[in-house]
Amino acid sequence: MAVAPRSPRLARRGVLTVESGGASSSGRVGRLYYRAMRLELRWSEVDELVAGSSTRLAGRRLEVDLDALSRLLARDARLRGIRLDLVHPGERCRIGRVFDVVAPRARLDGEDFPGVLGGVARAGHGTTLALAGVAVVATDQQTDSVGTLAVIDMAGPNAALSAFGATENLVISAWPAPGAERSDYLAAVRLAALKAAVHLARAAREAEPDRVEVFALPPSPRVPAELAHLPRVAYVFQIHSHQRPTGLDEGILYGDPVRRMLPTLVHPNEVLDGAVLRGFMGRSVTTWATQNHPVIRALYAQHGRTLWFAGVVVTVAQATEPERVRSAFLTAGIVAHTLGADGAVLTKIGGGAPHVDMAQAAAQCEALGVKTTLLVEDMSTDGSAEGMLLFDFPGVDALVNVGSSHEPLTLPPMDRVVGADDLAPGLQGETRATYGTLCGAIEQIGATRVMAEVR
Amino acid sequence: MTPVAVMVGANRIVQAAGIIHPLGNADLSADDEKALRRRIVEQALQALRTEVVRPTVFTPE
Amino acid sequence: MASGPLRVVCFVNQFFGQLGGEEKAGVGPQVTDGAVGAARAVQQVLGEAGTVVATVICGDNYTAEQGERAVAELLALVAAARPDLVIAGPAFLAGRYGVACGALCAAVQAKLKIPAVTGMQAENPGVDLYRRQVYIVQTGAEATRMLAEVKRLIALGLKLARGEAIGAPAVEGYFARGVTRNVVTGATAADRATAMLLDKLAGRPFASEVPRPAFPSVPAPRLVKTLEGATIALVTDGGLVPRGNPDGIEALNATRYGAYSIEGKAGLEAAQYDNPHRGYDTSWVKQDPHRLVPVDVARDLEQSGAIGKLHETVYSTVGVATTLAHSARMGQEIAEKLRAAGVDAVILTST
Repeated sequence: MAVAPRSPRLARRGVLTVESGGASSSGRVGRLYYRAMRLELRWSEVDELVAGSSTRLAGRRLEVDLDALSRLLARDARLRGIRLDLVHPGERCRIGRVFDVVAPRARLDGEDFPGVLGGVARAGHGTTLALAGVAVVATDQQTDSVGTLAVIDMAGPNAALSAFGATENLVISAWPAPGAERSDYLAAVRLAALKAAVHLARAAREAEPDRVEVFALPPSPRVPAELAHLPRVAYVFQIHSHQRPTGLDEGILYGDPVRRMLPTLVHPNEVLDGAVLRGFMGRSVTTWATQNHPVIRALYAQHGRTLWFAGVVVTVAQATEPERVRSAFLTAGIVAHTLGADGAVLTKIGGGAPHVDMAQAAAQCEALGVKTTLLVEDMSTDGSAEGMLLFDFPGVDALVNVGSSHEPLTLPPMDRVVGADDLAPGLQGETRATYGTLCGAIEQIGATRVMAEVR
Repeated sequence: MTPVAVMVGANRIVQAAGIIHPLGNADLSADDEKALRRRIVEQALQALRTEVVRPTVFTPE
Repeated sequence: MASGPLRVVCFVNQFFGQLGGEEKAGVGPQVTDGAVGAARAVQQVLGEAGTVVATVICGDNYTAEQGERAVAELLALVAAARPDLVIAGPAFLAGRYGVACGALCAAVQAKLKIPAVTGMQAENPGVDLYRRQVYIVQTGAEATRMLAEVKRLIALGLKLARGEAIGAPAVEGYFARGVTRNVVTGATAADRATAMLLDKLAGRPFASEVPRPAFPSVPAPRLVKTLEGATIALVTDGGLVPRGNPDGIEALNATRYGAYSIEGKAGLEAAQYDNPHRGYDTSWVKQDPHRLVPVDVARDLEQSGAIGKLHETVYSTVGVATTLAHSARMGQEIAEKLRAAGVDAVILTST
């Protein structure tokens, strides 16, 4: 993988509607030309977030025109009332009713969050602006079942457990318009977060980036001879769980609600550039973590050195046993016979059934000679080691664990609560919570460092 | 979730019709649904009569 | 949590309490002021950090035969001395002594809320019985290296008494309790997984972060009667409850189950039932509870004579994030009730 120099000028803007032979990146193996997906992420560091008369990036200070942004978000008829709050690291503030977190990104060319915000167009090829140190936090003002929602602490001992305790946060509180159904409301809230994310990142379009990352991966079979000895490693990415069926407008893969989706292939860059979003019910997974996908980044970091990144298979956790078996079988076939992988890393989203679904896919891979490593969540609800796993399949023995969501945490008193006015009296004082309710403390796709240690 | 049942040592396991409706199927008519339910229950009775020595999964025809 | 010099109570058996050997194994619970016998080693190691205010002694046969009664009596003696920390043993390979130490420490923690610690050798039966509830420091089979082992025992005991963080089993020297505790490691799970996979691919050893589960196998009972003569009961963990959930079965981590009569009922009327289960979308089974508990079909089979009788009680709980301990307990209680009622077989619907 070549390390690309910075682009000397901004790429051409425009909507890519047709894929033609005019891709800007290509390579050569022998006498054959091939196209490589190439994503350039231009990072601008932000360490100050303030309200301002216009949205602009001045050095490392991001000024946001909150009125203009509110008006933009309020145009959605499914919402009534938008409130935007700015929350800073170190403030004795607790954000409540957290639904999802989105990283600020904006394409310089192409469509943002294709299929959901923008039109369907290729993600992962081209140039994307990214802001470091800023997060968009979407809250859910509708549900009464607040046990399912998360909190973020900006100070105190638990701030360090989550990435969002250290980011400048733009918190969006939006209320449902009268008669707005649950899935309409959630779709609107998530869309508002995506719009805000793009709005913020666009402030960097004239800026010289602080650093540039390039992700370039040719089509899977195209391996230069001198690297053909490297073990081929695939990533099996479970992007949704059908413990609850998705809403029609709950776009997850290029805007598709992935109902009963059979395993399929995507390019890793597509995941890094907004083609995959968290659905409305993904526990211990944020859209932010997906955009910064840690497994994909880890495999890219080793690509061409200790392994060849063979590709990404996306799956959903099925709801019935026959569908689960079929999905595992298809996944293993793609991993072993199409990608020709020697090894695979697997992650899951959701609860117990997806945990078993992932293990079944891994077992099928092992049966075809593909060595697997799984990221599992500690499934025990009483802290006992014997309850950690719900499966025991031959060969599925390399397990990394992302911690126990059920383990209790005490959150200290704070000075203010944002995003959860109705819960503030309870949330502001000392609060009993769990690792799972602290947003960003446990990410099932492996972004976090919490681990359940067997004692 | 039959693998879980196998793992914890349940001896007679009958594969039912899905998590959200183990003994039914909203896509079927009421009569067909009841017939499906009857088939699964009859398979369960058959399993009860069957001697097993280890966790065994029975799949309704 | 205590600070400053701690009040410590030691528990020893008749031999380590210097009352005698096997011939004194029947002596009942008694207490002496200060450190007696092996408790003196504890005092020596404690130094300024604490004072052994009392030594509680009991014969191994007494504790083994009297069981809970002995523990209750010993607990009273311990409580009277108002300790900040209880140290039992070490028991090395002595089985009755080890079990007594474990039982007493468990009771001291649970009933008196006082930290307790003990020590014994890996094969002492007290280890398997109490390792989950009690910190048990690993010792040798005999008292030869007792001083070094008592040091580890005291070090751990002091941490417990002071509310300090307890390290991993290998570091502190105790038997892994089979409990998990979240820690922050040096690398993300994604990085750890990539490294682990590369090791696995290269055939290098790797350390999986989750132990494989081990469930004991349960012998499969035989149905002795014919189906035509059998009483069949219906049970579910899919969360069927009467409207209003009168037994308050929890939506998650259930500790309760309900017993619901279907006597005289040909089926389950949707309007009379509800479902608090949080692990799946319950709308379909709320619409028609037979999709979860097949009372209608079971009645038909009863009427046609295919089965002898449909038991008049349905047992139900909510099976999401239920702990293994509660699941096993509820299963046992339900099984006992069914057996007492003459039920021959059960069809259990699980979601």
